[in-house]
Amino acid sequence: MISQRVVSIILESFWPIFSAGFAYTIPLTLISFGLGLVIAVVVALVRIAGVKVFCQIAEFYVWIVRGTPLLVQIFIIFYGLPNAGVVLDPLPAAVIAFSLNVGAYSSETVRAAIQSISKGQWEAGYSLGMTYFQALRRVVIPQAARVSVPPLFNSFIGLVKDTSLAANITVTEMFMVTQRVAAATYEPLALYCEVAVIYLIFCTVLSRVQSLAEKKLSVGQSGVEK
Amino acid sequence: MFQLTGITKKFGGKAILRSVSLTVESQKTTVVIGPSGSGKTTLLRCMNLLEIPDSGTLDLEGMKLVFGGAPVPQKDILRFRQRTGMVFQAFNLFPNRTALGNVMEGPLTVLKKPKPEARDLALSLLEKVGLLEKKDSYPSQLSGGQQQRVAIARAMAMKPEVLLFDEPTSALDPELEAEVLGIIRELSQEDYTIVIVTHKMSFARDVGDQFVFVSDGEILERGPMSGLDVSRNPRIRQFLSML
Repeated sequence: MISQRVVSIILESFWPIFSAGFAYTIPLTLISFGLGLVIAVVVALVRIAGVKVFCQIAEFYVWIVRGTPLLVQIFIIFYGLPNAGVVLDPLPAAVIAFSLNVGAYSSETVRAAIQSISKGQWEAGYSLGMTYFQALRRVVIPQAARVSVPPLFNSFIGLVKDTSLAANITVTEMFMVTQRVAAATYEPLALYCEVAVIYLIFCTVLSRVQSLAEKKLSVGQSGVEK
Repeated sequence: MFQLTGITKKFGGKAILRSVSLTVESQKTTVVIGPSGSGKTTLLRCMNLLEIPDSGTLDLEGMKLVFGGAPVPQKDILRFRQRTGMVFQAFNLFPNRTALGNVMEGPLTVLKKPKPEARDLALSLLEKVGLLEKKDSYPSQLSGGQQQRVAIARAMAMKPEVLLFDEPTSALDPELEAEVLGIIRELSQEDYTIVIVTHKMSFARDVGDQFVFVSDGEILERGPMSGLDVSRNPRIRQFLSML
């Protein structure tokens, strides 16, 4: 039976954990995903353009990031880099690690999405006199965005949960706060279930946002009115 | 006048166009015919610089680009493309924009026209191709013939000096063909300079002022449209007899 004590611990800890989500988990996710997306687009464009040296650098970056654990990357950046003279605060270190991670994974999504747009669409833009970047921005990216929304939301939702790894480098995000309460109250089962539910709430909201984004971007597809 | 001189284009070592020279008279309709794989479409794409010729000269009303020497500056290529409108076999409309949005895109993005001006221009062009009431439809909601008519309006929105049509009806059902051919016929009777690659010989004879017969990357014969059926060239006679 859940005792009254456990119930009151859950209720009392809900707000501190939830507000840590707003103070750390959400900003960490949004900033890292935003930066990661910029990296992803640049890396995807470099790889599509196929300019040798830049392309090799991009491939090397994706290879390293995808081939090593995120937790190890976080430790290298926060605990390792000081040995090389680079001392970072926990939050910037986390943002760098998450951005690089999202950038590597999402670059493949973005690349596939851009390449799925037919050559005829580029040519239609060029034939009007558009530059490469005009055709990219006005013609290709809007269509590629629609294709890439589901896989990008996969990365986005994954990132919400991955931010819990920042607890390892003293960022007081939701999981860190939960650990502290659990240690003080000796109720790990209740508290870790509680934080799991809070992550689930955040991710459920994001899934709804995904549906809305898909609907908005599917304008012009057969059978869909604007 | 649009003058092509010595245009050569190779793909992977294989010559698709071999030193093609051609004069397109202003306000006339030039019909490009010839067997499949002869280089007709490549010739047309070189006129819009979707393919950059390996060598040769393009001269459009005094804007002269020379290929084969120093690379032609990108801004000249972009300017040249604006002055030559292209209508594709597969339409290539922007699927995420309405008919109106498709036609406004060039004036808005490339010519940086203010929105109301681009809109007025686009509306008048949609009216010209008889699709004003479809202005808010997306390409997926239009028939193939309607899509191609929007594509024609989109090309015309840049006010190009020459309109290029690459087999504009070969992706269409026969019953939809007529509406597109009707629009092109109208344009050819007005002041537009038109180059059209087509397999529709009856249409070619109908709208053409000049024919160009392309075979194996070369112009075999060209002249007034009336000269086509009386050509003595055995290759041309054989081609016409097979249709």
